[in-house]
Amino acid sequence: MRYPTKYDSFVGLEIHVQLTTESKIFCGCRNRFGDEPNTNVCPVCMGLPGSLPSLNQEAMSKAYLVAKALHCDLADTCLFERKNYFYPDLPKNYQISQFAKPLGTNGWIDIVVDGVTKRVRIHECHLEEDAGKMIHAGDMSLVDYNRTGTPLLEIVTEPDLNLGEEAEILIHELRRIVRYLGVSDGNMDEGSMRCDANVSVNTKGAGLGRKVEVKNLNSSRFVRLSLNYEIDRQTEILEDGGTVVQETRLWNENRDQTIVMRSKENANDYRYFPEPDLPPFRTTPEFLADLETRIVELPLDRRVRLVSTLGISQTQAEVIGEEKANADYFEKVLEYGADGPTVATWMTGDVQKLLNRTGQSAAESPLTPERFAELLTLMAEGKIHGKIAKTILELVFEKNKNPRVIMAEQGLEQMNDSGELAKLVSQVLVDNPVAVEQIKAGDTKPMGFLMGQVMKASGGRAEPGMVQKMLKEHLG
Amino acid sequence: MTQQINWKETLADGGQKAYIAEVKKRDALVGSFLEFDPPRGKMARPQAEVQTTEELAGIPFAIKDNIALRNFKLTCGSKMLAHFVSPYSATAVEKILAAGGIPVGKTNMDEFGMGSSTDTSALGTTSNPWDLTKVAGGSSGGSAAAVAAGLVPFALGTDTGGSVRQPANFCGVYGLKPTYGAVSRYGLVAYASSLETIGVVAREIPYLEKVFNTIRDQDEKDNTTADWRDFSDPKEGEVTKIGVLTGSLGLDPGVAEAYAQVRQELLALGYEIVEMQLPMLDYAVPAYYTIATAEASANLARFNGIRYGHRPVYSENPEELVQKSRDEGFGAEVKLRILLGTYVLRSGFQDQFYLRAQKIRTALVRDFDKVFSQVDGFLLPVFPTQAFSHGDGGLDPFQQKVADKFTTTANLTGLPALAIPTGVSGGLPTGVQFMAPAFCEDRLFGLARRLKSNLTLGEPPEFPALYAGQEGRS
Ligand SMILES: [Zn+2]
Repeated sequence: MRYPTKYDSFVGLEIHVQLTTESKIFCGCRNRFGDEPNTNVCPVCMGLPGSLPSLNQEAMSKAYLVAKALHCDLADTCLFERKNYFYPDLPKNYQISQFAKPLGTNGWIDIVVDGVTKRVRIHECHLEEDAGKMIHAGDMSLVDYNRTGTPLLEIVTEPDLNLGEEAEILIHELRRIVRYLGVSDGNMDEGSMRCDANVSVNTKGAGLGRKVEVKNLNSSRFVRLSLNYEIDRQTEILEDGGTVVQETRLWNENRDQTIVMRSKENANDYRYFPEPDLPPFRTTPEFLADLETRIVELPLDRRVRLVSTLGISQTQAEVIGEEKANADYFEKVLEYGADGPTVATWMTGDVQKLLNRTGQSAAESPLTPERFAELLTLMAEGKIHGKIAKTILELVFEKNKNPRVIMAEQGLEQMNDSGELAKLVSQVLVDNPVAVEQIKAGDTKPMGFLMGQVMKASGGRAEPGMVQKMLKEHLG
Repeated sequence: MTQQINWKETLADGGQKAYIAEVKKRDALVGSFLEFDPPRGKMARPQAEVQTTEELAGIPFAIKDNIALRNFKLTCGSKMLAHFVSPYSATAVEKILAAGGIPVGKTNMDEFGMGSSTDTSALGTTSNPWDLTKVAGGSSGGSAAAVAAGLVPFALGTDTGGSVRQPANFCGVYGLKPTYGAVSRYGLVAYASSLETIGVVAREIPYLEKVFNTIRDQDEKDNTTADWRDFSDPKEGEVTKIGVLTGSLGLDPGVAEAYAQVRQELLALGYEIVEMQLPMLDYAVPAYYTIATAEASANLARFNGIRYGHRPVYSENPEELVQKSRDEGFGAEVKLRILLGTYVLRSGFQDQFYLRAQKIRTALVRDFDKVFSQVDGFLLPVFPTQAFSHGDGGLDPFQQKVADKFTTTANLTGLPALAIPTGVSGGLPTGVQFMAPAFCEDRLFGLARRLKSNLTLGEPPEFPALYAGQEGRS
């Protein structure tokens, strides 16, 4: 139920992105998902007495890189602070985070909603440490501290979104960005990207309403569903003349609705204060220069460019541009002189099918960009036609050899010697007198059949145009 | 002991038994050690690989029980950690081990460093070797008492607001609080991270100097450390002008007398004395307790009974486990300071307390910048009284805090300070302290050496020197 004319809805997101670094943010432990519980731990990330955090420069660098990609003002000095709260999965019972001086502020991200570009402002980006994981087993509670100290970048948007669908699109776009930058795998199902949201609804034109936080959104689908649910719920309250209670709610995926978690009165006072164990982080010219070398063309810009300058379709650009490695691969093939739309068609068609079958990415498959281009050149030169090209493509994957070599070895080069073709055609006509009679009587239907017979006799290599012409000459 | 032997031989195969017996006998009276186990200490670094030429080869030393030594307990004088054994060693300890030193045990302290008497320890009582009815001071009381009683030539302590200098002063030994950032805090159980440093207690200046030079270094495990080589003293340790406070300092007679005597000696030695004012000094203690308790409230939050530490016999759920652990594990002084710290950090109240304290701190730093643009060193009392009595006869907790005025300045400013014994008055040691600009510890050692020749230090009558190199202090 929507009341589009009477109300405005506002959605802001807080997205947590785990950064993929060799080691954790404040110690030398491996930063890796899926190991045996409590194996990637040390005195620092276990919060043992006497241990101290030591900042991982790589985490800082990757965090700044994302802030830069989100067009933020990059802080020349940023500060870590302690966020104090007790929870068993938080070893020190405070989280080292950023508060007064985050590393990035005042940015934006563009998303495309129904073909229209929408700019969503980024309030800030800040770096913090992840907590461990509580596991409840029967009447016991267990804690796995492998995840404590994973570098976590929190990205906070302004409430510029209006619908769950837009939030879902933003999350997908952000996922592409962090993957393009190589700073995170952005997988929500493994928890490497997590999202909280705030929603408010108000009478049209009256600005933000009373904010409700929604937590526990561990898939982009839940983000969409929960936000739309919440917008409808608040709209109904207003419609009935009520007021929305400012509170934190949880998405319940079994009931497809949000439920109350805690009211505002029970909100924590985190008692932030500057982390005395870590001096302020100051960017240097070298640090900033390094960011320049690591920044890449953003996924949306790239999709737009592929469509506008290379003439491929929007859908093809979306498929090819989803992963940076794929888009790089695509453009690499073009560097060998291939034609954009043709490469795109093959890449999103037969090549994709083979990659899916072999479970490889284009970049690591035997089909190097050079071989890809060679295959298309063979076609353009008239040495092979489409069907043979598909055969050769499969053989490239099978034998890991160049298309031209395979063509020669397997004798797949197109037959366009008119003498040889004429012999084949004559033989087929002799072997199929009934069809020949039919055609001569004016029924052209068996023409295709005869054509197929010639192709078959040539092992698929006969140049179809020439065969067609010859058949017509004989029967016309 | 009829025959004096060398410190280096105490733990050699021939001497170890006698040494252990003598320490046990003496410490039954003093109570400086919470854990004493030289054979286990020797295993901290295989003695076979120690070269006799190493700076501290074979020298026994003690460690305050809030500094980590692998395979030894790390109790912090608290019931909370009474059974916690450290799986790692502090960087400063590693450095002494690398120089050949042998840790013989862990010393008593005020619980988590919170106190000036060592009486807030939940695990034992430490007495002053000069007079067993008196406290050894605190919070590094165990380390100071062990050194004063002749059990070890030096010990590591920690100084958050005077916790090395005040007990050293009470026990008549040297106590160094290095520049903040000169010595790694990795392995020091945090009480007030921005204020505290590991320090050294010693009966002789050469040990003090040797140990400090051994432990100071930048450490990648402590991002607040700096490389001392980047801060050369323009005066190369030389001191000619010394600043002193103007006006009345509110000292007990014995302390005032010693302080006046040192001023005289300095003049006699040719130093120029410059009277100065420190406008922010009266605000030092409130600022100190605001910052220290704020940081403590976060630093001590990790003790929740889940991964280690005191745990209740029974609890209904994780929340109750945490509540009971902390209620049962912490003593009254610790709870008081955690509450204070939580209070001053509440949102809406930070301007009034925590931020204001930080402003005072900044102003005090400016005061001292000004001081050291005019003089090379600064003379201060350590504590307004000499060692006070255990229990009710002593200062109440509030008086003890007010008395931290002279020591907390070095912590708030991060500057180095050295407490120096000056003699004995009424059977108890007296002393003063000097402060110097950051990374100018050499000036402090130089001053101590010059003064020593003109002072009569004495030694605790019941605990005369045992070993050579612990020369009589006539
Ligand atoms: Zn770790």
